[in-house]
Amino acid sequence: MSETYQYLSPEWTQEAHRRLREELTADKMKYVTSSMVTHYKNCPDGKDHSLFYKFVKGVIEELSLLEGKPPKAEFIISGDYEVFASISRAELGARSALMTGRLRLKGSMVKALGLSAVVDRMNKVLATIPTVY
Amino acid sequence: MVAQDPHDPYFIDFPQRVRAVQAAMAERGIDMYLGSRLRTLSWIAGAFCPWRSFIIIPPEGLPTVFTFVIDASRVADDSWLDEDHVLGYAPMGGQDQVSVISEMIDGYLNGGKVSIGIETGMGSYTPEGHLTHFEYEQFSAALPDARLVNAHDIVDALSVIKDTGTINRFREASRIVDIGQQAVYDAIKNSAYLGMTETEISGIATYAMRKAGSEFEWTFTGGNEIASGYRTGLAGGACTPATRRKLQAGEPLMVDLHAMFMLGLGDHSHNYLLGPASARQKWHARNFVDLVAKCLGAYRAGISPTSLADEMLAYCEEQGFAEYMVPGFEHGIGLMGDEWRIGMNDGPFPYWTNPEHVYRPDEMVICAIQYACPEEAIGFRYENPILISEGGCEYLSKYPLEIEEV
Repeated sequence: MSETYQYLSPEWTQEAHRRLREELTADKMKYVTSSMVTHYKNCPDGKDHSLFYKFVKGVIEELSLLEGKPPKAEFIISGDYEVFASISRAELGARSALMTGRLRLKGSMVKALGLSAVVDRMNKVLATIPTVY
Repeated sequence: MVAQDPHDPYFIDFPQRVRAVQAAMAERGIDMYLGSRLRTLSWIAGAFCPWRSFIIIPPEGLPTVFTFVIDASRVADDSWLDEDHVLGYAPMGGQDQVSVISEMIDGYLNGGKVSIGIETGMGSYTPEGHLTHFEYEQFSAALPDARLVNAHDIVDALSVIKDTGTINRFREASRIVDIGQQAVYDAIKNSAYLGMTETEISGIATYAMRKAGSEFEWTFTGGNEIASGYRTGLAGGACTPATRRKLQAGEPLMVDLHAMFMLGLGDHSHNYLLGPASARQKWHARNFVDLVAKCLGAYRAGISPTSLADEMLAYCEEQGFAEYMVPGFEHGIGLMGDEWRIGMNDGPFPYWTNPEHVYRPDEMVICAIQYACPEEAIGFRYENPILISEGGCEYLSKYPLEIEEV
């Protein structure tokens, strides 16, 4: 039986980084250089958490887990923990969550549009991690 | 993003315009300017913004345009502003126009009590772009520490006098319109108009003008306004979008063409009598041509719409055709979106031309004269952008003033 990970734990984050780097080539990542934060509100521990992604020429150089106020990044996607969890469980599409206002995007919408396929690919990889929510 | 070249004849110093707005803001104690009118977007961003758009001007530094995301990259490509200063809004969490704009304003203001200049009012021009009541309420709620004050007159005052680059854009748009007029004449002469429709005339002109570089038949009133027969004589028919009506012998034809060059607007109306013309029709035509020539000779700095109208209507009365005149002889004009009102909003009727507005050198208006005799199913329209100078005016369309019988 494969190992399972607690969602947003340091171990889950480490595994996510490993899988993303392994499965998404720079080409699939559109050689993007940028930064993104997914900010999780109302987490089960009662706190807010963030995942900070740093992309350099299509390589995810950094994926770190932070607590409290989200750090600065080119794009910040924020929403409730449960919404992100639903997306990771493939119960809800990220685009649908944005279109219905359950997720909020901060950053240039024009640039974000160009990266939506990249984010979709990342979400698909993250959805493959055996996760306990 | 379009590179700025000061040696280009069409160069407009947009950064200087922004600094002028910022200086006026400082004088009025306005911390941020939230523009929403089409004319403001054209005048500052230098790009055509057909979708609902906004421009934020901070106390210093570059402004930022917000437009519907589907058009944002194109606007950035056409503007002197870079893609970091032309952003899109969309119906998504945090990206709707109120959220994304309020957030940016908030970022500049650091939470203090502030004053934000907005553009509200009313207009006879549908695409004017004043802030709507709903938008006002939404921005007020999103920025509770801000006081929203009407400040459109800042841009209005700064845009009355035209700079050289703007004037040259209008000159080129008028040159293009003249090409359209020539194409129409070539197509209809020697009775070749028989069987043609008004929409076809519009298409012939459009094709010629587009070939010559026109970007748009810019009017909201239907592009090229073509009228024939009784439609030329409608007393309240100053805008005549082309219809499928067929041109017929013995009727008048009005050809009002519009071209756009780098947001500069061409607007010239020429008239014909589709032969054979009656003596009475020719009498009307002579009246009109004489009046237009007199009017063009009268424009100069120091006169006002009222003084001009008084002089022209007295002439019409003297010549016996005053009853056919629509008593107005011009409308305002500026870069795309700046149409209709002349000068500032300082007349007796809010948001209408002040009839006592005194023209200054380098102001532009469209000389617009409408002659209508509905009972005889005949009328004419003249339009031509004119540049006012100390002792006279330059009319930008050079197409010969006459009413030919074809």
